[in-house]
Amino acid sequence: MRGFERYKVISALGAMVVLAACGGSTSTGGSGLGSGPLLVGVIAPFSGADAGLGPAYYAACLAAAPSINNNGGVGGRQVSCQKFDTRGEPADAVPAANAMIASNSNLMAVVGCTSDEAATVAPIIDRGHIPMFCMTGQTEFNKTTLKYFHRLVPADIYDAYAMVGSALYGPGHAPYKKAALVFGNDIGSQAFVAPATNAFTKLGGTIAINQPINLTPGTSYRTEVAAMLATHPDVILTEALGAAGTYLKEVKTQNGGQMIPFIGTSATIDPQWFQQVRDAIGVDDLVKYYAGVDLGYTFAGPAYDEFITNLNAAASTFADAPKYKQRGSTLHLYDGIIMTALAMTATNSADPTVYNSKIKEIANGTSGATVVNTYKDGVAAIKAGKSIQFVGAGGQNSFDAFNNSVAGYIWVTYDNQGNEVKAGQMTPAQTATIAQAGGI
Amino acid sequence: MNLFVAAFGFGLVSMSVIAIAAVGFTMQFGITNMINLAYGEVMISSAYLAYYLNKAGISIWIGMVAGALFGSVFSFLLNRLVYAPFMRKGTANLGMVIVSLAVSLMISNLLLPIVGFYSVSYQEDPGSLIRLGSIALTRDQIIVIAIAVVLMLGIHALLTYSRLGKAMRATAANPTLARNCGIPTQRVIDSVWLITGALCGLAGVVAALNADSFAIANGSAFLITILAAAVLGGAGQPYGAMIGAVLIGLITELSAAAWSPEYKEVVAFGILVLVMVLRPQGLLAKRGALAAAG
Repeated sequence: MRGFERYKVISALGAMVVLAACGGSTSTGGSGLGSGPLLVGVIAPFSGADAGLGPAYYAACLAAAPSINNNGGVGGRQVSCQKFDTRGEPADAVPAANAMIASNSNLMAVVGCTSDEAATVAPIIDRGHIPMFCMTGQTEFNKTTLKYFHRLVPADIYDAYAMVGSALYGPGHAPYKKAALVFGNDIGSQAFVAPATNAFTKLGGTIAINQPINLTPGTSYRTEVAAMLATHPDVILTEALGAAGTYLKEVKTQNGGQMIPFIGTSATIDPQWFQQVRDAIGVDDLVKYYAGVDLGYTFAGPAYDEFITNLNAAASTFADAPKYKQRGSTLHLYDGIIMTALAMTATNSADPTVYNSKIKEIANGTSGATVVNTYKDGVAAIKAGKSIQFVGAGGQNSFDAFNNSVAGYIWVTYDNQGNEVKAGQMTPAQTATIAQAGGI
Repeated sequence: MNLFVAAFGFGLVSMSVIAIAAVGFTMQFGITNMINLAYGEVMISSAYLAYYLNKAGISIWIGMVAGALFGSVFSFLLNRLVYAPFMRKGTANLGMVIVSLAVSLMISNLLLPIVGFYSVSYQEDPGSLIRLGSIALTRDQIIVIAIAVVLMLGIHALLTYSRLGKAMRATAANPTLARNCGIPTQRVIDSVWLITGALCGLAGVVAALNADSFAIANGSAFLITILAAAVLGGAGQPYGAMIGAVLIGLITELSAAAWSPEYKEVVAFGILVLVMVLRPQGLLAKRGALAAAG
């Protein structure tokens, strides 16, 4: 073999060895992770009636960023968080979303987008090709065509079914027969009404009154409460964020100092909601008469441990951050940001059109995937050439064909300090019965 | 229980809260020609002052007085330091509205990091329910109604019988002529800001007490209702504002009883639009009164 031909053979053999080494890696050989800081946009209400929502999501980002940054960042790129206030109004949300995308070429992900504004901003973010993790339970996203949309919480319909389950099968009481539905007249709250009505009535209950209430700050609700009390309900099913304290205090006042049992959606598992209602009706009545629903979190494990450490440390930036230690949305959005960073690392790409689809794969896992609970472990596994499944602070995710992840609900109450306490859980048979009655 | 009669009782409380605020607002406009869109923010600032005093163990009724004093001084300073300089420079009316809007935004955004975004409540036992037929009101609600009645009578007495009141009316009608007649219009205007500011501060605490819980957003939300009552009655007309408050307060509660409560504000503002179509100057103002005041 002549020298030059020998050289060609050796080079080809060398190339084959390199290609063989690369073949076991999950990296798709992306264009590189680039340089400079990365940004997570937190687009949510930080003012207005739903001002309590945005801070929970901001806390998630503040906890996720050090999980990533303290472990090399994303290819050395440091992650930071920025708020974009939608004021809970679509008219304000659209310019906020447009400004967010136009002004920040280093957006790696967007979190937040609640039911107040998701319908308007999700298409904008999708057109910008930015992966988003939205906290909306609206039915319209159950079969969304938006490729960059991800939802880590179940649709509102499941929240409503869990409330009905609490009313019918919950611990400590006979099945309630007559329910008053008291939900805010905003998009997000009204999404619960139809599924709750369908399920409750088909299983033998009666809706005493369906009372959409105006969430305008300063409203007193006296006439509304008088009308509701006149129907003599056994239980109140409610989500009226911002108005709950006022409404429930009026119930207690007009009912001669006596509360009526009330069941709240998962959004009522919130420190602000607890404080409002506690100040309104007293902690004893809140603990005694309140039942809520929530996704089944363990609040334990390596993922949660890192989350809580970083959340507490975030108090130096955002004093209230530690209050969200048991807030489902905070846990899920934390996981979403981590998964996005892992997807970028796995694809070796800062191009969302490349790494977006990897997020689902990392959440669901593939056959033989290594389960990881932290960003650090995930990066290590990726570098070792393994495929990974991330199970984070919020638990395991399972995205369906429309990037919606569904997990099981539990029944909860509060203790005197405002901590969530598990009270029970629907059996699969009960879940099936209610879902059958309510329809999907 | 008759729901409509009960709603009427609740309407008495609502109209009392609106009246205290709307009369102050419309007097500011009627006499100083200033549409003060920061009025709601001054209200909520006063409400927060009362909250912190209440949290320190002071009775809310004393907090209400403190809120009134705070609103008085705050409004006076707002005019002296911000509005009056712009007016002296000949800023047009629309420009002054923008200035007050800017002040409103500045106040609410300055307050937010101090008080936080969480809603707060006064620690106040409203007392047991006092029933008169189907009307059921708490002790605190009856006190609010009484405060409103006393204040409205006080405003009437001020405007009708006092020298200051007459000077206010003269300044409102024609400031130049009033000045030429020897009325110290600057002192009158200062007095107006102090008095209406006190009403504003008091209204803030009353509104917060009425709402059970409040946050920054309450200020701007309540301003819309105040504007509606003031415009309905006739801009710059204190007695008109009282009538406007009665109508809006009662209509919102009665419509909630008759219809769906989510439409109660729609009904109230629908009535406002109807009145404006039929009588653009408001219920009490003479035609052209807005132009005269402007």
